Amino acid sequence: MSQETPQSRPQGQGRPQGRPADAGSPRVSRVDASVASPVKFFFASALLWLLVSSVLAVITAVKLHLPGFLNGCEFVTFGRLDAIQRNVFFYGWASNALIGLNLWLLASLGRFEFRNGWIATLGGLIWNLALTAGLAVVLLDSQNAFELLELPRGVAPAFFVAFLLAALWPAVAFARRPTSQVFVSQWYILGASFVLPVVYLLTQLMVLWCPTNGVLPALVHSWFLQNFLFLWLGASALAAVYYFLPKELGTTLTGYYLTTVGFWTLFLFAGWTGPATLLGSPLPLWIQSTGVVASVMLLIPLTITSINFFGTLARDSGWSRAWNNTTLRFVAFGLVAYTLAIALQIVFSARSLNAVVRFTSFISGQQQLLTYGFVSMVVFGAAYFILPRLTGAFWPSAKLVHLHFWSCALALVGSVAGSLYFGWTQGAALAAAKPFAATANPQAALLSSACAVLFLIGHAAFAVNAFGMLTSCSSTTDEGRHA
Amino acid sequence: MKNLNLILAGVFFTVAAPFGGLLLSGHAQLGSLGRAPAEEGGPLFPAKEPGLAIQGRQVYLELGCVACHTQQVRPAGQGSDIAQGWGVRPSVARDYVLQSQVALGNRRVGPDLANYGARAKTDAEIAAHLSAPAVGSSMPTFPSLFSKAKDGSLQPNERGAALIAYLKSLRQDYSSPEAKLKQ
Ligand code: HEC
Repeated sequence: MSQETPQSRPQGQGRPQGRPADAGSPRVSRVDASVASPVKFFFASALLWLLVSSVLAVITAVKLHLPGFLNGCEFVTFGRLDAIQRNVFFYGWASNALIGLNLWLLASLGRFEFRNGWIATLGGLIWNLALTAGLAVVLLDSQNAFELLELPRGVAPAFFVAFLLAALWPAVAFARRPTSQVFVSQWYILGASFVLPVVYLLTQLMVLWCPTNGVLPALVHSWFLQNFLFLWLGASALAAVYYFLPKELGTTLTGYYLTTVGFWTLFLFAGWTGPATLLGSPLPLWIQSTGVVASVMLLIPLTITSINFFGTLARDSGWSRAWNNTTLRFVAFGLVAYTLAIALQIVFSARSLNAVVRFTSFISGQQQLLTYGFVSMVVFGAAYFILPRLTGAFWPSAKLVHLHFWSCALALVGSVAGSLYFGWTQGAALAAAKPFAATANPQAALLSSACAVLFLIGHAAFAVNAFGMLTSCSSTTDEGRHA
Repeated sequence: MKNLNLILAGVFFTVAAPFGGLLLSGHAQLGSLGRAPAEEGGPLFPAKEPGLAIQGRQVYLELGCVACHTQQVRPAGQGSDIAQGWGVRPSVARDYVLQSQVALGNRRVGPDLANYGARAKTDAEIAAHLSAPAVGSSMPTFPSLFSKAKDGSLQPNERGAALIAYLKSLRQDYSSPEAKLKQ
């Protein structure tokens, strides 16, 4: 086991800026060049899906207070678009981006020139085609009743194969090389890349291919969802944090010796937390209680990641240095969101509290805190670091970087705070036996529409910047582009 | 931790444990559940859904009603579902044994529908709600479930009629061995 130490790679760009004063183009190292094409492919696909998801999010948010909006034909009814938006966000944006990020991290950490990049790209192609086909079915025909399993079951084999090619195979290939060092990030990537395909396969079998009647599929689904959120999205994003934080601060992690425990306890307990999302449901009580216990146990990995990350940030004016570094600004924001999200998961698995907020927007706020506030923000931060190294170009506009950060950060705070607050007040009003119709606050829908528009602005700024860079002809030499 | 085989083995265990501990034991407990009478010799519940309702369930899934409606009534100590009039007793696993894709749902933009059939009004009133929900409701209209009759009025088409039959079949107002109705 070895401590990540600052290495001889080029340091981050310092303050958010398009181009440092000593304006040469960044070099593309041989290691980076070897993964450049698959990683660029995954980032570009992720970005396109993110734009689609943001537009859909605006439409669904508006529909919640103006149900007549775009209601002309059945294909754009709320129930269909909502499912499509969710799947685009999770399978299109987050998963593509994390597959690309994991590939780059593996190559970078292992200083490994990746020979068969095309295999990962092929996996990515299959993934995106299958997703597109699946979404078309939801739009035009039918969907399944479980969140993130809405796509028709025919998509599953394609997703599975694609993931093996693009994520699991590279992870295992990198990991099996003889090396003197194994980094914390690699454990997380290996774990995440292994958990997702296995859990996805078993879930598809039990829920869609050989389904049983009754409530069992709901239990299987809750297991899948928690694995997906915590051990695929969450663990992959943690891998990136374990890489970028010490590297960009040029320091070592506080409490490094705890990381092993943090890793194992997260993987050990997160898989059991599913039933904690089903409190009060018709499932047997002992199953629900197991989920509650597992959620409380998440306190251990949460404490350890907090010591690791906040301990590190608290030393040597780490917070202010993080704030002045584009990548770390996003990462630090993400870490605060992660801590809050897990803390909410723990606290609101208490039966009495859960009874108030269950089925309200509180739950979506909690989920958004993890999947957007943490995962997406970390991915953005990582992209600001990685893309220049892959393209040999600089970010075209520093203003757009600022616009991206501020609109997304504000939108997230507004949207999560709104969901939590209005969810809680609605739950409290229902508990006080107010009639249901009198408990929905129209301001909630207005706020979430405003935030959806703000997200769209931020993502558009990011996309303009990133596509400007991805399409600029890359140069591998120092005399590169100065234009 | 240098030994990657060990990491993979460990991660495999962390997946296998909840799979066995939750899903397989859940299957062992729930898999054998079937219809049952509330007391010896009584009729079996839940009642079989009529064929039209089974088609209607498909329409319910297609249109994504589950995005806004749940179908589960929580016990009295856990939320106010019964006080809201959504059910007369908590939902139990046995209520769902005939359903192939349970639409339990996890978000309530609209009311719970687990026992909607017991409080539903006439077909015409349900149809009126689907073609024109209450003013101020965030529930959309579903014009594709209706077609114009000769006299110009909107009548539910085949899918509309199936959906209405399905909604009326949603009932949890019988006694079940796990949840007796209070007399
Ligand atoms: C955007 C969210 C949304 C969607 C999607 C939605 N509903 Fe609703 N539904 C509501 C709201 C809000 C109410 C309560 C206000 C009202 O009666 O219109 C409601 C009320 C109802 C009621 C009356 C319940 C009662 O207790 O009186 C029924 C029945 C119903 N919906 C069925 C459906 C069906 C069937 C679908 C799918 C075709 C559907 N809903 C889709 C939001 C939604």
